[in-house]
Amino acid sequence: MLKKIKLKDAVGSKLAHDITEIRPGEFKGPAFDKGHTVCNEDLCHLQKLGKNNLYVIDLEEDEIHENQAAAILAAALAGEGIFWKNEPHEGKINLVAETDGLFKVDTTALAALNMVDEVMCATLHNHTLVKKDEKVAATRAIPLVMKRVAIERAAAIARQNGAVLAVKALRQARVGLVITGNEVFHGLIEDRFAPVLSEKVTALGSKVDGIAFAPDDEKLISKAICDHLNQGCDLIMLSGGMSVDPDDVTRKGIQMAGATEMNYGSAVLPGAMFLAAYIGEIPLLGIPACGLYHRITVLDLVLPRILAGETIGKADLAFLGHGGLCKDCQDCTYPHCPFGK
Amino acid sequence: MESFEVLLEKSGAAHGHLCPGQAVGVRMAMLGCRLIDLNEPTSRDQIKKLLVYVEMDRCTADAVAHVTGVKLGRRSLKFMDYGIMAATFVNLETGHAFRIVSTEESRDLVEVYTPEIADKPTQQLKAYQRMPDSVLFRVQQVEVAVPEEDLPGPTRFKANCSSCGQIVRDRREVVRNGRSFCKPCTDDVYFSAAHEITWPDMNWAPKEK
Repeated sequence: MLKKIKLKDAVGSKLAHDITEIRPGEFKGPAFDKGHTVCNEDLCHLQKLGKNNLYVIDLEEDEIHENQAAAILAAALAGEGIFWKNEPHEGKINLVAETDGLFKVDTTALAALNMVDEVMCATLHNHTLVKKDEKVAATRAIPLVMKRVAIERAAAIARQNGAVLAVKALRQARVGLVITGNEVFHGLIEDRFAPVLSEKVTALGSKVDGIAFAPDDEKLISKAICDHLNQGCDLIMLSGGMSVDPDDVTRKGIQMAGATEMNYGSAVLPGAMFLAAYIGEIPLLGIPACGLYHRITVLDLVLPRILAGETIGKADLAFLGHGGLCKDCQDCTYPHCPFGK
Repeated sequence: MESFEVLLEKSGAAHGHLCPGQAVGVRMAMLGCRLIDLNEPTSRDQIKKLLVYVEMDRCTADAVAHVTGVKLGRRSLKFMDYGIMAATFVNLETGHAFRIVSTEESRDLVEVYTPEIADKPTQQLKAYQRMPDSVLFRVQQVEVAVPEEDLPGPTRFKANCSSCGQIVRDRREVVRNGRSFCKPCTDDVYFSAAHEITWPDMNWAPKEK
């Protein structure tokens, strides 16, 4: 329970919570920490912060302080690759990436948690690439004092699928590139796909193990895939031949190589003719020609997820639709834009 | 207790249609029975230990009654007309009682749990299967003092209406100035303009074989 006391009577009392001071553009933080004993010298400062009354906490048996509540919430939210310190700051606990990787949010459980009265958690977007020690989420209880059972129910909701938040380290894939197209194979034009794809692969910590060139012939495309697999590649990326022309036979080649699952078409622009297939557990990504022209495409949304261990199926490619439209800005600021969010 | 899927199917058949309220009611009943340690509520040795108070006369109430086996006529089902999606499960042997309330936020979260389904009733039905109990319900441990006249078993109390002579059972009579009345002889009655009639085929009775 909270009891209100007049500021003039507060000397000698311990503060029930951090008291925040905001000086526009200059400072935001606790002017006084929770537990600070109010002395005569503080009164003027507190008045300047608009405090004419202070709270004294007298906790009932079934009540907890916001700091304890924040710790219970943080413990329930944090999954693999997340760490937090039980050092609430203004009642709030930050959750931080323990490693470089892909930040994952169980958005359903997060929504359910935030529907509980008097608790909150805010996060970065699902599937954001993060660096070690980067803040990915923060949580707090909203009132200063609340019922323990409400917090414990919120924590149970957060744990409904294990944990709400995780950072998955990206595996180091051995990538086999298959560059298709008669025009490149026969030397009519110079390939520019391999450097683009190689750069994206290495930027995510993986390496290109081999580059094969194949004409628009499904048998030869299939052979190139199989050769990569035999050499130990555990991720195959194919460029070109993903469209609807009669010469576009990359899909047939993938099928012929033994694809067990094929999902053609994504709800992303650029990248509608993208393909995600599997031979056993090994992913094959078919990148349409847009990957050559646009700096950022559906590949940039999907590749980190593949490397984080996700299996990309039809629903995953469909759910990218909301936010899947690139604005084609002259100065691309991705990932600091709405694309893929 | 049978599986959720089996209970849902049977409950839907008994109710007349499979609706989202059935999913909520079946789960409410399963949780209630688990909390009061009566996991086979329709079995011979448990059926007399259970009382259920439902606070709404909606689809959910039928599902709760179907799963638990409680019935109005057995006096194991009590209807409290509160208009709240809630039910209280009482173990008469241990005295343990839990009131389970369906959360309002679960309705707002339907689309979040079923983003791949567009049809609203199907979406609700599936979402109420996917949500964990922690999202679907809030639970209160409560004390329920069951009056003697509300317990199942033979009629223990009878009174005569001092106005019309009607026998009133289970202390449902209204006492005014020391005299007992049946409810219809008071103003607290759900009908009006009552007058006795005759009707065609007044002597019909089922034929004995």
